[in-house]
Amino acid sequence: MKKLFIAFWRRNLAFSELAIVSNLEYRFNFFIDAFVQPLITVGIELLMWFAIFETANAVQIGGFGRDNYLAYGVWAPFLGRIAVSWMYESMMVEEVASGSINVILTRPISFYEYYLSQLMGYKVTTTLISMIAPLAVSLFFDLPVHYSRLPMAIALVFYYLFLVHTLSFVISTFAFYMTRVRSLTLVKNLTLWLLAGELVPIDLMPPAIAKILLLSPFPAGVYTPVAYITGRADSDLVLQSFISVTISMVVAVIIGAVLWRKGLQSYTGTGA
Amino acid sequence: MSFVIETQNLGREYKTYQKKEGVLNSIKGFWNREYTAKPALKNVNLEIEGGQIIGLVGSNGAGKTTLLKILSGLIYPTQGSVKVLGFEPWKRETEFLRQMSLLLGQKNQLWWDISARDSYSLLTKIYDIDVNTAKKRVSDLADMLSCQHVLDTQLRRLSLGERMKMEIIGSLLHNPKVLFLDEPTIGLDIVAQSAIRDFLASYVRDYKPVVILTSHYMDDIAQLADRLLLISKGEMVYDGTVKRFSQTTETSKKLIYRYKNDLQERELIFQDSELSEKLNEVVKSGEVVNLKIEEVDFEEVIHRFLAKESRI
Repeated sequence: MKKLFIAFWRRNLAFSELAIVSNLEYRFNFFIDAFVQPLITVGIELLMWFAIFETANAVQIGGFGRDNYLAYGVWAPFLGRIAVSWMYESMMVEEVASGSINVILTRPISFYEYYLSQLMGYKVTTTLISMIAPLAVSLFFDLPVHYSRLPMAIALVFYYLFLVHTLSFVISTFAFYMTRVRSLTLVKNLTLWLLAGELVPIDLMPPAIAKILLLSPFPAGVYTPVAYITGRADSDLVLQSFISVTISMVVAVIIGAVLWRKGLQSYTGTGA
Repeated sequence: MSFVIETQNLGREYKTYQKKEGVLNSIKGFWNREYTAKPALKNVNLEIEGGQIIGLVGSNGAGKTTLLKILSGLIYPTQGSVKVLGFEPWKRETEFLRQMSLLLGQKNQLWWDISARDSYSLLTKIYDIDVNTAKKRVSDLADMLSCQHVLDTQLRRLSLGERMKMEIIGSLLHNPKVLFLDEPTIGLDIVAQSAIRDFLASYVRDYKPVVILTSHYMDDIAQLADRLLLISKGEMVYDGTVKRFSQTTETSKKLIYRYKNDLQERELIFQDSELSEKLNEVVKSGEVVNLKIEEVDFEEVIHRFLAKESRI
Protein backbone atom coordinates (compact mmCIF):
# COMPACT_ATOMS: atom_id res chain seq x y z
CA MET A 1 0.00 0.00 0.00
CA LYS A 2 2.80 2.39 0.98
CA LYS A 3 4.64 1.50 -2.23
CA LEU A 4 1.54 2.27 -4.30
CA PHE A 5 1.10 5.59 -2.51
CA ILE A 6 4.72 6.57 -3.16
CA ALA A 7 4.43 5.54 -6.81
CA PHE A 8 1.24 7.60 -7.11
CA TRP A 9 2.89 10.76 -5.80
CA ARG A 10 6.08 10.20 -7.74
CA ARG A 11 4.10 9.84 -10.94
CA ASN A 12 1.84 12.82 -10.33
CA LEU A 13 4.65 15.13 -9.30
CA ALA A 14 6.33 14.12 -12.56
CA PHE A 15 3.19 15.13 -14.51
CA SER A 16 3.19 18.49 -12.72
CA GLU A 17 6.84 18.93 -13.59
CA LEU A 18 6.02 18.07 -17.19
CA ALA A 19 3.52 20.94 -17.33
CA ILE A 20 6.08 23.37 -15.94
CA VAL A 21 8.94 22.16 -18.15
CA SER A 22 6.75 22.12 -21.30
CA ASN A 23 5.39 25.60 -20.69
CA LEU A 24 8.78 27.05 -19.89
CA GLU A 25 9.97 25.78 -23.27
CA TYR A 26 7.91 28.60 -24.77
CA ARG A 27 9.23 31.42 -22.59
CA PHE A 28 7.53 34.30 -24.39
CA ASN A 29 4.09 32.67 -24.27
CA PHE A 30 4.56 31.78 -20.62
CA PHE A 31 5.64 35.35 -19.74
CA ILE A 32 2.60 36.83 -21.49
CA ASP A 33 0.22 34.31 -19.92
CA ALA A 34 1.57 34.42 -16.38
CA PHE A 35 2.56 38.07 -16.09
CA VAL A 36 1.48 40.46 -18.85
CA GLN A 37 -2.11 39.22 -19.19
CA PRO A 38 -2.92 39.52 -15.44
CA LEU A 39 -1.29 42.96 -15.40
CA ILE A 40 -3.45 44.16 -18.29
CA THR A 41 -6.58 42.66 -16.74
CA VAL A 42 -5.90 44.47 -13.45
CA GLY A 43 -5.32 47.71 -15.39
CA ILE A 44 -8.66 47.33 -17.22
CA GLU A 45 -10.53 46.65 -13.97
CA LEU A 46 -8.97 49.70 -12.31
CA LEU A 47 -9.89 51.97 -15.20
CA MET A 48 -13.41 50.54 -15.40
CA TRP A 49 -14.27 51.02 -11.73
CA PHE A 50 -12.66 54.47 -11.58
CA ALA A 51 -14.75 55.44 -14.61
CA ILE A 52 -17.97 53.97 -13.19
CA PHE A 53 -17.65 55.89 -9.92
CA GLU A 54 -16.59 59.09 -11.70
CA THR A 55 -19.59 59.06 -14.04
CA ALA A 56 -22.07 57.81 -11.41
CA ASN A 57 -20.92 60.62 -9.17
CA ALA A 58 -21.75 58.36 -6.20
CA VAL A 59 -19.86 57.27 -3.11
CA GLN A 60 -21.53 53.87 -2.98
CA ILE A 61 -23.13 51.49 -5.46
CA GLY A 62 -25.23 48.59 -4.14
CA GLY A 63 -24.02 49.34 -0.61
CA PHE A 64 -20.29 49.16 -1.46
CA GLY A 65 -17.77 51.93 -2.02
CA ARG A 66 -15.25 52.41 -4.84
CA ASP A 67 -12.40 50.76 -2.98
CA ASN A 68 -14.54 47.67 -2.35
CA TYR A 69 -15.24 47.38 -6.06
CA LEU A 70 -11.62 48.05 -6.88
CA ALA A 71 -10.59 45.25 -4.54
CA TYR A 72 -13.19 42.96 -6.13
CA GLY A 73 -12.16 44.03 -9.62
CA VAL A 74 -8.50 43.38 -8.93
CA TRP A 75 -8.85 40.01 -7.18
CA ALA A 76 -11.78 38.51 -9.12
CA PRO A 77 -9.92 38.19 -12.45
CA PHE A 78 -6.84 36.86 -10.67
CA LEU A 79 -8.79 34.10 -8.92
CA GLY A 80 -10.99 33.62 -11.97
CA ARG A 81 -7.89 32.85 -14.03
CA ILE A 82 -6.93 30.13 -11.58
CA ALA A 83 -10.45 28.71 -11.69
CA VAL A 84 -10.65 28.05 -15.44
CA SER A 85 -9.10 25.35 -17.55
CA TRP A 86 -9.30 26.52 -21.15
CA MET A 87 -5.90 25.22 -22.20
CA TYR A 88 -5.99 21.80 -20.57
CA GLU A 89 -9.64 21.19 -21.41
CA SER A 90 -8.89 21.94 -25.07
CA MET A 91 -5.93 19.57 -24.93
CA MET A 92 -8.04 16.83 -23.35
CA VAL A 93 -10.78 17.19 -25.96
CA GLU A 94 -8.23 17.24 -28.75
CA GLU A 95 -6.50 14.12 -27.40
CA VAL A 96 -9.74 12.14 -27.53
CA ALA A 97 -10.88 13.56 -30.87
CA SER A 98 -7.55 13.11 -32.64
CA GLY A 99 -6.66 9.73 -31.15
CA SER A 100 -3.52 11.04 -29.40
CA ILE A 101 -5.09 9.57 -26.30
CA ASN A 102 -3.82 6.19 -27.54
CA VAL A 103 -0.49 7.01 -25.91
CA ILE A 104 -2.19 7.37 -22.52
CA LEU A 105 -4.52 4.39 -22.96
CA THR A 106 -1.62 2.04 -23.59
CA ARG A 107 0.37 3.17 -20.57
CA PRO A 108 -0.36 2.52 -16.89
CA ILE A 109 -1.70 6.02 -16.31
CA SER A 110 -5.13 7.51 -15.93
CA PHE A 111 -6.24 10.22 -18.33
CA TYR A 112 -7.95 12.11 -15.51
CA GLU A 113 -4.93 11.95 -13.22
CA TYR A 114 -2.45 12.81 -15.98
CA TYR A 115 -4.19 16.07 -16.87
CA LEU A 116 -5.18 16.96 -13.31
CA SER A 117 -1.57 16.92 -12.18
CA GLN A 118 -0.46 18.93 -15.19
CA LEU A 119 -3.22 21.46 -14.59
CA MET A 120 -2.25 21.80 -10.94
CA GLY A 121 1.46 22.13 -11.76
CA TYR A 122 0.73 24.85 -14.28
CA LYS A 123 -1.71 26.69 -12.05
CA VAL A 124 0.61 26.71 -9.02
CA THR A 125 3.42 28.19 -11.11
CA THR A 126 1.31 30.83 -12.85
CA THR A 127 -0.49 31.73 -9.62
CA LEU A 128 2.78 32.51 -7.86
CA ILE A 129 3.81 34.84 -10.67
CA SER A 130 0.48 36.43 -11.53
CA MET A 131 -0.31 37.21 -7.88
CA ILE A 132 2.26 40.02 -8.04
CA ALA A 133 -0.18 42.28 -9.94
CA PRO A 134 -3.21 42.23 -7.59
CA LEU A 135 -0.94 42.31 -4.53
CA ALA A 136 0.97 45.34 -5.77
CA VAL A 137 -2.21 47.22 -6.72
CA SER A 138 -3.95 46.37 -3.42
CA LEU A 139 -0.98 47.59 -1.43
CA PHE A 140 -0.50 50.71 -3.56
CA PHE A 141 -4.14 51.83 -3.34
CA ASP A 142 -4.51 50.49 0.20
CA LEU A 143 -7.59 48.51 -0.82
CA PRO A 144 -9.72 46.74 1.81
CA VAL A 145 -8.09 43.32 1.63
CA HIS A 146 -7.65 40.86 4.54
CA TYR A 147 -4.27 39.46 3.58
CA SER A 148 -4.38 36.82 6.33
CA ARG A 149 -7.41 35.31 4.54
CA LEU A 150 -5.56 34.88 1.24
CA PRO A 151 -4.25 31.33 1.88
CA MET A 152 -7.77 30.02 2.66
CA ALA A 153 -9.23 31.85 -0.35
CA ILE A 154 -6.61 30.42 -2.69
CA ALA A 155 -7.05 26.96 -1.15
CA LEU A 156 -10.79 27.17 -1.93
CA VAL A 157 -10.09 28.13 -5.55
CA PHE A 158 -7.65 25.24 -5.95
CA TYR A 159 -10.22 22.88 -4.42
CA TYR A 160 -12.79 24.25 -6.88
CA LEU A 161 -10.24 23.56 -9.63
CA PHE A 162 -10.72 19.82 -8.97
CA LEU A 163 -14.39 20.29 -9.88
CA VAL A 164 -13.46 22.37 -12.92
CA HIS A 165 -11.10 19.62 -14.05
CA THR A 166 -13.75 16.97 -13.48
CA LEU A 167 -16.14 18.98 -15.65
CA SER A 168 -13.40 19.22 -18.30
CA PHE A 169 -13.05 15.44 -18.07
CA VAL A 170 -16.81 15.05 -18.62
CA ILE A 171 -16.67 17.38 -21.64
CA SER A 172 -13.71 15.50 -23.09
CA THR A 173 -15.59 12.19 -22.87
CA PHE A 174 -18.20 13.73 -25.22
CA ALA A 175 -15.48 13.73 -27.88
CA PHE A 176 -15.72 9.92 -27.93
CA TYR A 177 -19.24 10.28 -29.30
CA MET A 178 -19.25 13.59 -31.12
CA THR A 179 -15.58 14.27 -31.99
CA ARG A 180 -15.93 18.07 -32.15
CA VAL A 181 -17.05 19.53 -28.84
CA ARG A 182 -15.20 22.83 -28.79
CA SER A 183 -18.50 24.72 -28.80
CA LEU A 184 -19.43 22.91 -25.59
CA THR A 185 -16.19 24.03 -23.95
CA LEU A 186 -16.96 27.62 -24.88
CA VAL A 187 -20.53 27.50 -23.56
CA LYS A 188 -19.48 25.76 -20.35
CA ASN A 189 -16.68 28.22 -19.59
CA LEU A 190 -18.84 31.26 -20.29
CA THR A 191 -21.54 29.84 -18.02
CA LEU A 192 -19.02 29.19 -15.25
CA TRP A 193 -17.65 32.69 -15.74
CA LEU A 194 -21.08 34.16 -15.11
CA LEU A 195 -22.11 31.76 -12.31
CA ALA A 196 -18.80 32.17 -10.47
CA GLY A 197 -19.45 35.90 -10.12
CA GLU A 198 -16.45 37.07 -12.08
CA LEU A 199 -18.47 39.09 -14.58
CA VAL A 200 -20.87 40.61 -12.03
CA PRO A 201 -20.44 40.28 -8.25
CA ILE A 202 -23.17 37.95 -7.03
CA ASP A 203 -24.39 40.46 -4.41
CA LEU A 204 -25.34 42.80 -7.27
CA MET A 205 -27.64 40.16 -8.77
CA PRO A 206 -31.35 39.93 -7.90
CA PRO A 207 -31.60 38.50 -4.36
CA ALA A 208 -33.50 35.34 -5.38
CA ILE A 209 -30.91 34.45 -8.01
CA ALA A 210 -28.04 35.38 -5.70
CA LYS A 211 -29.44 33.09 -3.00
CA ILE A 212 -29.66 30.11 -5.36
CA LEU A 213 -26.25 30.81 -6.84
CA LEU A 214 -24.61 30.95 -3.45
CA LEU A 215 -25.88 27.45 -2.72
CA SER A 216 -24.28 26.19 -5.93
CA PRO A 217 -20.57 25.27 -6.12
CA PHE A 218 -19.68 27.84 -8.77
CA PRO A 219 -19.11 30.96 -6.62
CA ALA A 220 -16.28 28.98 -4.99
CA GLY A 221 -14.22 29.85 -8.07
CA VAL A 222 -14.42 33.64 -7.74
CA TYR A 223 -17.15 35.27 -5.68
CA THR A 224 -16.75 33.44 -2.37
CA PRO A 225 -12.93 33.74 -2.10
CA VAL A 226 -12.99 37.39 -3.22
CA ALA A 227 -15.85 38.22 -0.89
CA TYR A 228 -13.92 36.50 1.89
CA ILE A 229 -10.65 38.38 1.37
CA THR A 230 -12.41 41.71 0.86
CA GLY A 231 -14.53 41.27 3.97
CA ARG A 232 -17.92 40.92 2.22
CA ALA A 233 -18.35 37.38 3.54
CA ASP A 234 -17.11 35.35 6.47
CA SER A 235 -15.81 31.79 6.89
CA ASP A 236 -19.34 30.29 6.92
CA LEU A 237 -19.68 31.00 3.20
CA VAL A 238 -16.24 29.49 2.60
CA LEU A 239 -17.23 26.33 4.47
CA GLN A 240 -20.50 26.14 2.56
CA SER A 241 -18.56 26.47 -0.70
CA PHE A 242 -16.20 23.63 0.27
CA ILE A 243 -19.24 21.43 0.96
CA SER A 244 -21.11 22.26 -2.27
CA VAL A 245 -17.92 21.75 -4.33
CA THR A 246 -17.44 18.34 -2.68
CA ILE A 247 -21.02 17.23 -3.41
CA SER A 248 -20.83 18.46 -7.02
CA MET A 249 -17.50 16.74 -7.49
CA VAL A 250 -18.94 13.39 -6.40
CA VAL A 251 -21.79 13.79 -8.91
CA ALA A 252 -19.44 14.93 -11.71
CA VAL A 253 -17.01 12.06 -11.05
CA ILE A 254 -19.85 9.51 -11.31
CA ILE A 255 -21.13 11.04 -14.57
CA GLY A 256 -17.57 11.24 -15.94
CA ALA A 257 -16.80 7.62 -15.05
CA VAL A 258 -19.95 6.35 -16.78
CA LEU A 259 -19.36 8.44 -19.91
CA TRP A 260 -15.69 7.43 -19.97
CA ARG A 261 -16.47 3.72 -19.78
CA LYS A 262 -19.14 3.94 -22.47
CA GLY A 263 -16.94 6.19 -24.58
CA LEU A 264 -14.09 3.69 -24.55
CA GLN A 265 -16.48 1.00 -25.74
CA SER A 266 -17.34 3.03 -28.80
CA TYR A 267 -13.79 4.33 -29.33
CA THR A 268 -12.18 3.31 -32.59
CA GLY A 269 -8.61 4.33 -31.84
CA THR A 270 -8.75 7.18 -34.33
CA GLY A 271 -5.50 8.10 -36.00
CA ALA A 272 -3.59 4.96 -35.13
CA MET B 1 1.20 -24.96 -23.61
CA SER B 2 0.45 -21.40 -22.52
CA PHE B 3 0.57 -18.76 -25.18
CA VAL B 4 1.50 -15.12 -24.78
CA ILE B 5 -1.22 -14.11 -27.22
CA GLU B 6 -4.34 -16.15 -27.81
CA THR B 7 -7.47 -15.21 -29.76
CA GLN B 8 -10.61 -17.14 -30.64
CA ASN B 9 -12.99 -16.03 -33.36
CA LEU B 10 -11.87 -12.49 -32.74
CA GLY B 11 -13.75 -9.85 -34.66
CA ARG B 12 -14.49 -6.16 -34.75
CA GLU B 13 -17.16 -4.23 -36.55
CA TYR B 14 -17.12 -0.47 -37.16
CA LYS B 15 -20.21 1.63 -37.60
CA THR B 16 -19.82 4.34 -40.20
CA TYR B 17 -22.09 7.29 -40.88
CA GLN B 18 -23.23 7.29 -44.49
CA LYS B 19 -23.32 10.89 -45.62
CA LYS B 20 -25.16 11.36 -48.87
CA GLU B 21 -24.21 14.19 -51.19
CA GLY B 22 -25.48 17.73 -50.80
CA VAL B 23 -26.58 20.37 -48.31
CA LEU B 24 -30.10 18.95 -47.99
CA ASN B 25 -28.72 15.60 -46.84
CA SER B 26 -26.42 17.41 -44.39
CA ILE B 27 -29.50 19.07 -42.90
CA LYS B 28 -31.35 15.73 -42.81
CA GLY B 29 -28.31 14.20 -41.15
CA PHE B 30 -28.66 16.72 -38.33
CA TRP B 31 -31.42 14.61 -36.76
CA ASN B 32 -31.43 11.39 -38.71
CA ARG B 33 -28.19 9.64 -39.58
CA GLU B 34 -27.79 6.34 -41.34
CA TYR B 35 -25.03 4.07 -40.20
CA THR B 36 -23.66 0.95 -41.81
CA ALA B 37 -21.73 -1.72 -39.99
CA LYS B 38 -18.49 -2.77 -41.62
CA PRO B 39 -16.57 -5.77 -40.33
CA ALA B 40 -12.90 -4.84 -40.02
CA LEU B 41 -11.82 -8.15 -38.53
CA LYS B 42 -13.46 -11.56 -38.78
CA ASN B 43 -12.89 -14.82 -36.91
CA VAL B 44 -9.21 -14.40 -36.17
CA ASN B 45 -7.68 -17.35 -34.33
CA LEU B 46 -4.14 -16.93 -33.10
CA GLU B 47 -1.73 -18.69 -30.78
CA ILE B 48 1.60 -16.96 -30.29
CA GLU B 49 4.43 -18.17 -28.09
CA GLY B 50 7.13 -16.05 -26.44
CA GLY B 51 10.32 -14.81 -28.12
CA GLN B 52 8.92 -14.56 -31.63
CA ILE B 53 8.76 -11.75 -34.14
CA ILE B 54 5.47 -11.91 -35.96
CA GLY B 55 5.13 -10.03 -39.22
CA LEU B 56 1.59 -8.81 -39.76
CA VAL B 57 1.02 -7.92 -43.37
CA GLY B 58 -1.96 -6.74 -45.35
CA SER B 59 -3.04 -4.03 -47.73
CA ASN B 60 -4.52 -0.74 -46.49
CA GLY B 61 -7.78 -1.36 -44.64
CA ALA B 62 -7.15 -5.11 -44.40
CA GLY B 63 -7.55 -5.09 -40.61
CA LYS B 64 -3.98 -5.28 -39.34
CA THR B 65 -4.11 -2.03 -37.34
CA THR B 66 -7.49 -3.04 -35.93
CA LEU B 67 -5.93 -6.29 -34.76
CA LEU B 68 -3.03 -4.39 -33.14
CA LYS B 69 -5.46 -2.01 -31.45
CA ILE B 70 -7.45 -4.89 -29.98
CA LEU B 71 -4.35 -6.75 -28.81
CA SER B 72 -2.96 -3.62 -27.17
CA GLY B 73 -6.27 -2.81 -25.44
CA LEU B 74 -7.05 0.36 -27.35
CA ILE B 75 -10.38 -0.87 -28.65
CA TYR B 76 -12.93 -3.48 -27.68
CA PRO B 77 -13.58 -6.52 -29.84
CA THR B 78 -17.20 -6.94 -30.93
CA GLN B 79 -16.86 -10.69 -31.31
CA GLY B 80 -14.80 -13.55 -29.87
CA SER B 81 -12.19 -13.56 -27.14
CA VAL B 82 -8.62 -12.38 -26.72
CA LYS B 83 -5.94 -12.90 -24.08
CA VAL B 84 -2.55 -11.23 -24.02
CA LEU B 85 -0.19 -12.31 -21.22
CA GLY B 86 -3.28 -13.82 -19.60
CA PHE B 87 -5.14 -10.49 -19.54
CA GLU B 88 -8.11 -9.30 -21.52
CA PRO B 89 -6.47 -6.24 -23.10
CA TRP B 90 -9.56 -4.03 -23.28
CA LYS B 91 -9.79 -4.09 -19.47
CA ARG B 92 -6.49 -2.16 -19.48
CA GLU B 93 -5.34 -3.53 -16.13
CA THR B 94 -2.22 -1.83 -14.81
CA GLU B 95 -0.27 -5.11 -14.67
CA PHE B 96 -1.01 -5.72 -18.35
CA LEU B 97 -0.08 -2.19 -19.40
CA ARG B 98 3.21 -2.46 -17.52
CA GLN B 99 4.22 -5.47 -19.57
CA MET B 100 3.43 -4.30 -23.05
CA SER B 101 4.30 -1.47 -25.37
CA LEU B 102 2.73 -0.03 -28.49
CA LEU B 103 4.81 1.97 -30.93
CA LEU B 104 2.92 3.68 -33.73
CA GLY B 105 5.40 4.75 -36.38
CA GLN B 106 3.29 7.65 -37.55
CA LYS B 107 2.53 9.06 -34.09
CA ASN B 108 4.67 10.47 -31.30
CA GLN B 109 4.64 8.49 -28.12
CA LEU B 110 7.15 10.76 -26.40
CA TRP B 111 6.54 14.37 -25.46
CA TRP B 112 7.08 16.83 -28.27
CA ASP B 113 8.30 19.81 -26.26
CA ILE B 114 10.83 18.19 -23.98
CA SER B 115 14.07 16.29 -24.49
CA ALA B 116 14.11 12.53 -24.88
CA ARG B 117 15.95 12.27 -21.56
CA ASP B 118 13.16 14.24 -19.82
CA SER B 119 10.61 11.94 -21.48
CA TYR B 120 12.48 8.86 -20.22
CA SER B 121 12.59 10.33 -16.73
CA LEU B 122 8.80 10.72 -16.88
CA LEU B 123 8.35 7.18 -18.21
CA THR B 124 10.55 5.92 -15.37
CA LYS B 125 8.00 7.31 -12.93
CA ILE B 126 4.98 6.18 -14.94
CA TYR B 127 6.26 2.59 -15.02
CA ASP B 128 7.66 2.90 -11.48
CA ILE B 129 11.14 1.77 -12.50
CA ASP B 130 14.21 2.21 -10.32
CA VAL B 131 15.93 5.44 -11.48
CA ASN B 132 19.42 3.95 -11.81
CA THR B 133 18.15 0.87 -13.64
CA ALA B 134 16.27 3.11 -16.08
CA LYS B 135 19.29 5.34 -16.65
CA LYS B 136 21.48 2.35 -17.41
CA ARG B 137 18.88 0.93 -19.76
CA VAL B 138 18.57 4.23 -21.65
CA SER B 139 22.33 4.37 -21.96
CA ASP B 140 22.57 0.75 -23.20
CA LEU B 141 19.76 1.15 -25.72
CA ALA B 142 21.16 4.49 -26.93
CA ASP B 143 24.53 2.79 -27.45
CA MET B 144 22.90 0.01 -29.45
CA LEU B 145 21.12 2.58 -31.61
CA SER B 146 24.11 4.99 -31.73
CA CYS B 147 22.08 7.98 -30.61
CA GLN B 148 23.63 9.11 -27.29
CA HIS B 149 24.32 12.55 -28.79
CA VAL B 150 20.65 13.50 -29.24
CA LEU B 151 19.26 12.41 -25.89
CA ASP B 152 19.22 15.99 -24.56
CA THR B 153 17.56 17.55 -27.61
CA GLN B 154 13.85 18.31 -27.68
CA LEU B 155 11.92 15.77 -29.72
CA ARG B 156 10.56 18.40 -32.09
CA ARG B 157 14.10 19.33 -33.15
CA LEU B 158 15.14 15.82 -34.17
CA SER B 159 15.12 14.27 -37.62
CA LEU B 160 12.57 11.55 -38.34
CA GLY B 161 15.19 8.80 -38.00
CA GLU B 162 16.54 10.15 -34.72
CA ARG B 163 13.02 10.60 -33.41
CA MET B 164 12.14 7.01 -34.23
CA LYS B 165 15.22 5.81 -32.34
CA MET B 166 14.11 7.88 -29.34
CA GLU B 167 10.61 6.43 -29.61
CA ILE B 168 12.00 2.90 -29.70
CA ILE B 169 14.05 3.49 -26.55
CA GLY B 170 10.95 4.91 -24.86
CA SER B 171 8.87 1.90 -25.81
CA LEU B 172 11.49 -0.53 -24.49
CA LEU B 173 12.43 1.30 -21.30
CA HIS B 174 10.20 -0.85 -19.10
CA ASN B 175 11.37 -4.07 -20.76
CA PRO B 176 7.98 -5.11 -22.17
CA LYS B 177 7.13 -8.75 -22.70
CA VAL B 178 4.96 -7.88 -25.68
CA LEU B 179 5.82 -5.20 -28.17
CA PHE B 180 3.44 -3.98 -30.86
CA LEU B 181 5.23 -2.13 -33.61
CA ASP B 182 3.08 -0.45 -36.23
CA GLU B 183 5.20 0.73 -39.18
CA PRO B 184 8.34 1.47 -37.15
CA THR B 185 10.43 2.25 -40.24
CA ILE B 186 7.90 4.31 -42.17
CA GLY B 187 9.38 7.34 -43.89
CA LEU B 188 12.94 6.48 -42.89
CA ASP B 189 15.83 6.35 -45.33
CA ILE B 190 17.48 3.02 -46.15
CA VAL B 191 20.32 3.51 -43.66
CA ALA B 192 17.95 4.30 -40.78
CA GLN B 193 15.64 1.42 -41.76
CA SER B 194 18.54 -0.97 -41.72
CA ALA B 195 19.82 0.35 -38.35
CA ILE B 196 16.41 -0.14 -36.77
CA ARG B 197 16.02 -3.60 -38.28
CA ASP B 198 19.43 -4.68 -36.96
CA PHE B 199 18.62 -3.27 -33.57
CA LEU B 200 15.27 -5.06 -33.35
CA ALA B 201 16.80 -8.37 -34.39
CA SER B 202 19.50 -8.14 -31.75
CA TYR B 203 17.09 -6.85 -29.08
CA VAL B 204 14.68 -9.76 -29.58
CA ARG B 205 17.58 -12.22 -29.52
CA ASP B 206 18.74 -10.82 -26.17
CA TYR B 207 15.45 -10.07 -24.38
CA LYS B 208 12.99 -12.52 -25.99
CA PRO B 209 9.83 -10.42 -26.10
CA VAL B 210 6.97 -11.21 -28.47
CA VAL B 211 7.00 -8.63 -31.23
CA ILE B 212 4.07 -8.04 -33.53
CA LEU B 213 5.32 -5.99 -36.41
CA THR B 214 3.39 -4.37 -39.22
CA SER B 215 5.25 -2.72 -42.04
CA HIS B 216 4.77 -1.63 -45.61
CA TYR B 217 8.45 -2.37 -46.20
CA MET B 218 8.45 -6.08 -46.84
CA ASP B 219 12.17 -6.20 -46.17
CA ASP B 220 11.33 -5.54 -42.52
CA ILE B 221 9.14 -8.61 -42.49
CA ALA B 222 11.39 -10.79 -44.64
CA GLN B 223 14.46 -10.06 -42.54
CA LEU B 224 12.93 -9.99 -39.07
CA ALA B 225 9.82 -12.13 -38.89
CA ASP B 226 9.88 -15.72 -37.61
CA ARG B 227 6.27 -16.04 -38.58
CA LEU B 228 4.11 -14.30 -41.11
CA LEU B 229 0.45 -13.43 -40.65
CA LEU B 230 -1.21 -12.28 -43.80
CA ILE B 231 -4.50 -10.53 -43.45
CA SER B 232 -6.93 -9.62 -46.18
CA LYS B 233 -10.39 -8.10 -45.88
CA GLY B 234 -10.35 -8.71 -42.13
CA GLU B 235 -9.52 -12.41 -42.40
CA MET B 236 -6.30 -14.27 -41.81
CA VAL B 237 -5.33 -15.76 -45.16
CA TYR B 238 -1.89 -17.09 -44.25
CA ASP B 239 -0.18 -18.06 -41.00
CA GLY B 240 3.26 -19.63 -41.24
CA THR B 241 6.91 -18.92 -41.97
CA VAL B 242 8.06 -16.41 -44.53
CA LYS B 243 10.04 -19.12 -46.33
CA ARG B 244 7.10 -21.50 -46.61
CA PHE B 245 4.92 -18.65 -47.84
CA SER B 246 7.36 -17.84 -50.63
CA GLN B 247 7.66 -21.51 -51.57
CA THR B 248 4.00 -22.46 -51.50
CA THR B 249 2.35 -19.40 -52.92
CA GLU B 250 4.64 -18.63 -55.81
CA THR B 251 6.59 -20.66 -58.29
CA SER B 252 7.38 -17.54 -60.29
CA LYS B 253 10.79 -16.39 -61.41
CA LYS B 254 12.06 -13.14 -62.71
CA LEU B 255 13.84 -12.81 -66.07
CA ILE B 256 16.09 -9.77 -66.19
CA TYR B 257 17.48 -8.87 -69.58
CA ARG B 258 18.82 -5.99 -71.69
CA TYR B 259 18.78 -5.47 -75.42
CA LYS B 260 21.74 -3.92 -77.21
CA ASN B 261 20.24 -0.41 -77.43
CA ASP B 262 18.58 -0.42 -74.02
CA LEU B 263 19.77 1.99 -71.34
CA GLN B 264 18.03 0.05 -68.57
CA GLU B 265 17.35 -3.60 -67.82
CA ARG B 266 13.90 -5.08 -68.49
CA GLU B 267 12.06 -7.51 -66.22
CA LEU B 268 9.61 -10.27 -66.93
CA ILE B 269 7.90 -12.41 -64.28
CA PHE B 270 6.80 -15.89 -65.32
CA GLN B 271 5.80 -19.30 -63.97
CA ASP B 272 8.48 -22.04 -63.91
CA SER B 273 6.65 -23.97 -66.61
CA GLU B 274 6.83 -20.99 -68.99
CA LEU B 275 10.61 -20.68 -69.00
CA SER B 276 11.31 -21.89 -72.57
CA GLU B 277 8.41 -19.96 -74.04
CA LYS B 278 9.40 -16.66 -72.36
CA LEU B 279 13.08 -17.09 -73.19
CA ASN B 280 12.17 -17.64 -76.84
CA GLU B 281 10.00 -14.49 -76.86
CA VAL B 282 12.79 -12.38 -75.39
CA VAL B 283 15.50 -13.70 -77.69
CA LYS B 284 13.36 -13.33 -80.81
CA SER B 285 12.49 -9.72 -80.05
CA GLY B 286 16.02 -8.29 -80.18
CA GLU B 287 19.71 -8.74 -79.65
CA VAL B 288 20.09 -9.71 -76.00
CA VAL B 289 23.35 -8.53 -74.41
CA ASN B 290 22.63 -9.49 -70.83
CA LEU B 291 20.27 -12.03 -69.32
CA LYS B 292 19.76 -13.53 -65.86
CA ILE B 293 17.05 -15.45 -64.01
CA GLU B 294 16.28 -14.62 -60.35
CA GLU B 295 13.86 -15.65 -57.65
CA VAL B 296 11.02 -13.16 -57.26
CA ASP B 297 11.71 -11.11 -54.10
CA PHE B 298 9.44 -11.37 -51.09
CA GLU B 299 7.89 -7.93 -51.48
CA GLU B 300 6.69 -8.79 -54.95
CA VAL B 301 5.31 -12.14 -53.81
CA ILE B 302 3.28 -10.48 -51.09
CA HIS B 303 2.00 -7.76 -53.37
CA ARG B 304 0.97 -10.25 -56.01
CA PHE B 305 -0.71 -12.42 -53.39
CA LEU B 306 -2.60 -9.49 -51.89
CA ALA B 307 -3.64 -8.23 -55.30
CA LYS B 308 -5.00 -11.68 -56.08
CA GLU B 309 -6.82 -11.84 -52.71
CA SER B 310 -8.41 -8.45 -53.25
CA ARG B 311 -9.91 -9.63 -56.49
CA ILE B 312 -11.68 -12.52 -54.80
